[in-house]
Amino acid sequence: MHLQSLQSTKKQEKEKKILPLTTRVSTRFVWLVANCNSMAVFMDLNVLFCADRNRMKSLIETAAHLGFSTVAINYVFEPKAKKQEVPSPMPISELIGKLPMVQGHSCPIRVLNRLTVVMSEASHFRPNASEYRPFDLLAVQPTTEKLFHAACMLCDVDIICILVTERLPFFFKRAPINGSIDRGVVFEVSYASALRDITMRRYTITNAVCLMESCKGKNVILSSAAEKALELRGPYDIVNLGLLFGLSDTDSKEAVTSTCRAVLLHAARKTASGIVYTMKSQQEVLRDTADSEAPAAKRPKST
Amino acid sequence: MVRVKSRYLLCEINVSDRSNLLKLDDRAVAGAVRAAVARIHGDYGAALCSVRFCVKYLNAHTGTVFLRFPKGCYKLLWSALPFITSIESRGQIIPCFFNCLHVGGTMRTCQKFLIRYNTQQLHQMLPKCKNEEEKRQIREAILSCTLTGRNDETFEDELMSEEDGE
Repeated sequence: MHLQSLQSTKKQEKEKKILPLTTRVSTRFVWLVANCNSMAVFMDLNVLFCADRNRMKSLIETAAHLGFSTVAINYVFEPKAKKQEVPSPMPISELIGKLPMVQGHSCPIRVLNRLTVVMSEASHFRPNASEYRPFDLLAVQPTTEKLFHAACMLCDVDIICILVTERLPFFFKRAPINGSIDRGVVFEVSYASALRDITMRRYTITNAVCLMESCKGKNVILSSAAEKALELRGPYDIVNLGLLFGLSDTDSKEAVTSTCRAVLLHAARKTASGIVYTMKSQQEVLRDTADSEAPAAKRPKST
Repeated sequence: MVRVKSRYLLCEINVSDRSNLLKLDDRAVAGAVRAAVARIHGDYGAALCSVRFCVKYLNAHTGTVFLRFPKGCYKLLWSALPFITSIESRGQIIPCFFNCLHVGGTMRTCQKFLIRYNTQQLHQMLPKCKNEEEKRQIREAILSCTLTGRNDETFEDELMSEEDGE
């Protein structure tokens, strides 16, 4: 667990208000909420893990240069054989020594760990398993309609990945999608396969458009499933890609900024038994562009 | 007031190997953009590209490029830019990607943004300097906002003359 210290700027005061139902709150979670900039915070929650350390390093440096303030390293787990081990995440300090600064902000990039379980049977995903503990985000990729329904309504995950490499074998129904929106689970569309191949591009756009029709553009995140540094794209380019997928302008920008932050808040329910949000009580005019001001953080969708 | 409006897109070309940047020229970049738009949006996109699209400026040392699009369809043409994975120039294929930094209505606003962006970059480069001489040079450059040895001064002159003729 990497705990970061709270950064408090001297020029402003923040008032923390705790909801009555809560007891303990982890410091890492409070840092997460308290350190938002007034500028939009872009996140890329899907960067594929590979064992080559130099490649990971250049990936993270490129992401910081493009302006992403948070990156999540994705370990894809596909249980084919019985009793296959869930991979354990490499600690961030081993992966990259000094975290690079985000372009345009004054804080270093945050790197999180994420696990994606590719489900082809219901037994593949075991809820509350202890191996999932070291990961900050949990995702699941269902391949059949029943599994999709189960994942939306029952499974204790944060992200549901939409297949982009082949035609969807099932149609999306409104009921499970609305159920997952109520729970705070988001759907993820990744675009790196669209950059590689023409048929993949068509499948990506087809599946994404189907999803947008059913979910009306809410609770969607766009992320790269990048394996190399050249497969990342800047945040404004991704917002434009969202227009191609059928999202409106505001929904498309939300897909890279505030929905991602909502996912992180939803994921922090494991470490925090309560929710804390910060309110701006006093704001002074800041001359220096490097200073950060904390806006009122969005309340997560499930309390 | 009848005025033909365009959108100027300030992009940065990222390559994995910096020495490849110098091989770029504006015709290669224009060809790559046209090909990508034709691939993604078909004949309609290719036709839109011939209206008022051109590469206004390319700085091969930093990889900055100004593209001009007509105002009515710039979003459509912009959405094809992420799909560019390589540029072919002088017979060589350079793998790269475009990163859009700023969209402006005139070249002057884009230029102002670029100056601010470059000062930020220089600020970030300052801690990484190896010796005092480079640090002093960079500090002076930030304070005066020009750099010797790069063609940023000629860049500003070019911009001033081009936006008058726009």
